[in-house]
Amino acid sequence: MTAQRRFPASVYREGEEPDPRFSLANERTFLAWLRTALALYAGAFALEALSLPEAVAWRTAAALVFLVLGTLCAGQAWRGWRSTEVSLRRGTPLPGLGVGAVLVLGVVVAAALVTIGLYA
Amino acid sequence: MSSATPPPQGAADDGAHTPSETVFDKGLQPERTLLAWRRTCLAFGVASLVGMRFTVDALGLLAVFAGVIGGGLAVLAYVLAATGYRRAHESLRGRGVLSRDGLPMLAGTASALVIGVLCAAYLVAGLLAA
Repeated sequence: MTAQRRFPASVYREGEEPDPRFSLANERTFLAWLRTALALYAGAFALEALSLPEAVAWRTAAALVFLVLGTLCAGQAWRGWRSTEVSLRRGTPLPGLGVGAVLVLGVVVAAALVTIGLYA
Repeated sequence: MSSATPPPQGAADDGAHTPSETVFDKGLQPERTLLAWRRTCLAFGVASLVGMRFTVDALGLLAVFAGVIGGGLAVLAYVLAATGYRRAHESLRGRGVLSRDGLPMLAGTASALVIGVLCAAYLVAGLLAA
């Protein structure tokens, strides 16, 4: 597979081929984000499927937060993989993890919504 | 497997194994990546089937259809992960280069987003029914 034909070209035209072990570690991080996205989607689904909490407004609000967070994680999986691979190829510092703060905050908010809904 | 062909350049030759039987990295990076793909496929497959189980009463055949397609794609990805590992192993042992690109990642992200859309549709359907 030549460098020109590798997808996405915006990644593979940058810099030089990095240590393959780092690329593989980057790939596993991508997969971990993907599973996190799936878990958050599963959370949204489970709340609705199990009618937990029974108060519709609180349940929908919590499920929506999980849904948004899941989409955020799926986006971070792809965006993070791309930008990390570019950094590895250029030999520049790896990107930060601002999404992590949003994720933590979101999970706390969703848990609070479920808890309030249970006792509302 | 014993063969008369000489090992490729850069291959460790301990006399007991042909190069294709020795691992590329003592940290087992390609193997760990294969396992990560496998558990991801497993998670997607289980999500498809559990989703089908919980929506089959409301959606009927449509749920079965979606669940079987999701599970089938997860199995396909599982098999592709194995062939991808084999290819990566061969190229790493042979040339020391990882022959891999972003297409599997794009497909994985798209699958996750599709599940998200289905999940959103389920929430909307629940709201409309309430």
